[in-house]
Amino acid sequence: MATTVLEAAPSMPALLARAALTARGRGGALPEDRVARRGVVVDPAEVAAYARVCRFPLADTLPATYPHVLAFPLQVALMTDRAFPLALPGLVHVRNRIEVLRPIGAGEALDLEVRAERFARHRSGATVDLCASVSAGGAEVWRARSTYLARGATAPEGAPEADVDVEIADLGPGTITWRVPADAGRRYAAVSGDVNPIHLSGLSAKAFGFKRAIAHGMWVKARALAALTGRLPEALTVDVGFRRPLFLPSTVTLASGQRGSGWDVAVRNATAGTEHLVGRIRPL
Amino acid sequence: MATTPRTAAIVGGNRIPFARSNSRYAQASNQDMLTATLDGLVARFGLQGQQVGEVVAGAVLKHARDFNLTREAVLGSRLSASTPAYDVQQACGTGLEAAVLVANKIALGQIESGIAGGTDTTSDAPLAVNEDLRRVLIRLNSATTLGDRLKALRGLRPGQLAPEIPRNAEPRTGLAMGDHAAITAKEWEIGREEQDELTVRSHQNLAAAYDRGFFDDLVTPYLGLSRDQNLRPDSSMEKLAKLAPVFGTGDPAATMTAGNSTPLTDGASAVLLASDEWAAERGLPVLAHLVDAQTAAVDYVHGGEGLLMAPAYAVPVLLARQGLTLQDFDFYEIHEAFASTVLATMKAWEDPGFCKERLGLDAPLGAIDRSKLNVNGSSLAAGHPFAATGGRIIATLAKMLHEAGPGRRGLISICAAGGQGVVAILES
Repeated sequence: MATTVLEAAPSMPALLARAALTARGRGGALPEDRVARRGVVVDPAEVAAYARVCRFPLADTLPATYPHVLAFPLQVALMTDRAFPLALPGLVHVRNRIEVLRPIGAGEALDLEVRAERFARHRSGATVDLCASVSAGGAEVWRARSTYLARGATAPEGAPEADVDVEIADLGPGTITWRVPADAGRRYAAVSGDVNPIHLSGLSAKAFGFKRAIAHGMWVKARALAALTGRLPEALTVDVGFRRPLFLPSTVTLASGQRGSGWDVAVRNATAGTEHLVGRIRPL
Repeated sequence: MATTPRTAAIVGGNRIPFARSNSRYAQASNQDMLTATLDGLVARFGLQGQQVGEVVAGAVLKHARDFNLTREAVLGSRLSASTPAYDVQQACGTGLEAAVLVANKIALGQIESGIAGGTDTTSDAPLAVNEDLRRVLIRLNSATTLGDRLKALRGLRPGQLAPEIPRNAEPRTGLAMGDHAAITAKEWEIGREEQDELTVRSHQNLAAAYDRGFFDDLVTPYLGLSRDQNLRPDSSMEKLAKLAPVFGTGDPAATMTAGNSTPLTDGASAVLLASDEWAAERGLPVLAHLVDAQTAAVDYVHGGEGLLMAPAYAVPVLLARQGLTLQDFDFYEIHEAFASTVLATMKAWEDPGFCKERLGLDAPLGAIDRSKLNVNGSSLAAGHPFAATGGRIIATLAKMLHEAGPGRRGLISICAAGGQGVVAILES
């Protein structure tokens, strides 16, 4: 196992271009390599811009989803490496679980480390988990697991069964209505660095087989979490499943139901009722 | 005869450090700052998930979308979502007026607890479209035919792209508040040196209060700031003397500088008030009680009175009602909008002519002991995010009175735009 320590966040457009060029001829087992950054201090202006796009209030602690923005470029670096068995184009983010062990102060120096694990069999292909861990002062404060589905891919012999389902109890219709504009993907791309073309415009999304641009799943998750500001435990797990893509523009609803000191949430299309996201928020 | 109502207890306060305009809080909205301040108060007094009787707060510079600012802040805070809230606005008197409203409901037994606060940002300011453009757009919006729409569009001019920027000026006189204060300073012959002296003392007092930890349970750091950004512990007469006048500059003898006037600042504050019983049930302290309050207004437009002189009128009314003299106080908190405002107000109270002719008193109110004035600093050093100043002063004074022991009395005097003033008495 080798850990590559990067001095700065890698360039996402460059990584994505490389991913497209090196998509073919991949295979084999998951690499055990890790990618890391040390002593990362967030830029308050970038956090403020992220908070505005996701509707978090500007506070002294980071939004629970913000460390994902820091870890994601490292995960993409890992996935675009030649040793990674699956091609990045075509990977679909199907589940994301974040655990906030304690609120992270906006001024803390953070150590980030990402790795891939759990190459698993899925009824329509294979899944892989990209894991991220954030530490401050030597103690882990935040961790996350993003499950990606590669349709048509084959998991290695003896691989476990994929674990992609997030179950929630029945929720009534949502009262919170979001009119998600056509530029929602571009706005989130600008503050998160996730410039995947499927989110940016109808034309670029078509090139990747989508009829229209789709919203970033992590934006939907962040905004759902922001809607519960003030009502969440300090240490928590936010586990969401991404169901149908949220095409832009759309009008969607957020339904929420309290479960002890946690919540179940669902983001659905306002007219058709199709589910875009279901989530479980629980105290840790 | 009606029974005397109880008086509301001041349990404590919380504020974020005040930041200079377009600096540390440039990205923060009024709602962000008020929510952070409420959450700090909630954490300090263990109010997570609890319902308080009412939250009353406001902002002077307010976006149209913030019509329900305080309720929105409550919904985003850790208070129970079933806590009612409403907004008030009385210019720089907003924070103190909010506390008076909460205290009155507690006194009448309509609520048992409440939070009063205020927030203001001069950075995330509510720019509005140019007034001419606004009229064109309204006409365009109401036009039903293509012809009407085209006619409306003919009213468009490139110059209308310039937005309306909120100014710290009086709508009826067009004068900046500082220019109004300069007129008063000249009238009362307030010198440059005494203004600078008051300013240095404000900075020194605030710095000393921070140094001895006085604000440890009154201020919660926010966005990397743990002390008021405007505070200059090394302020001195020599440094202040170098500053050029910025208000009333038509007069060669102008005295008001950027040093002895409060700068534009961003910030928020909140105060927890309650009945004695409510505080006792929760094991919370009672720092002081809000005994009484009074507002006044003066005609600065045509009546020849100074814009910021209303507190000079409110205080004698309050004293008469309470059977007190101006000297019956252990502490005085006179809001330092400008150093000259504090000095002119005190001079007016000492002036037999003013007290007889304007206030209708037989004898002047007299002088106050300067060593009891703004002893932990005031707005010149801390800054003055308009609606947040009342909460800052109430929490500070309540703590000072509590430290001094039972039966101590403090007077708060705050001047406000529109020729208004809010004054109040706290007692430990």
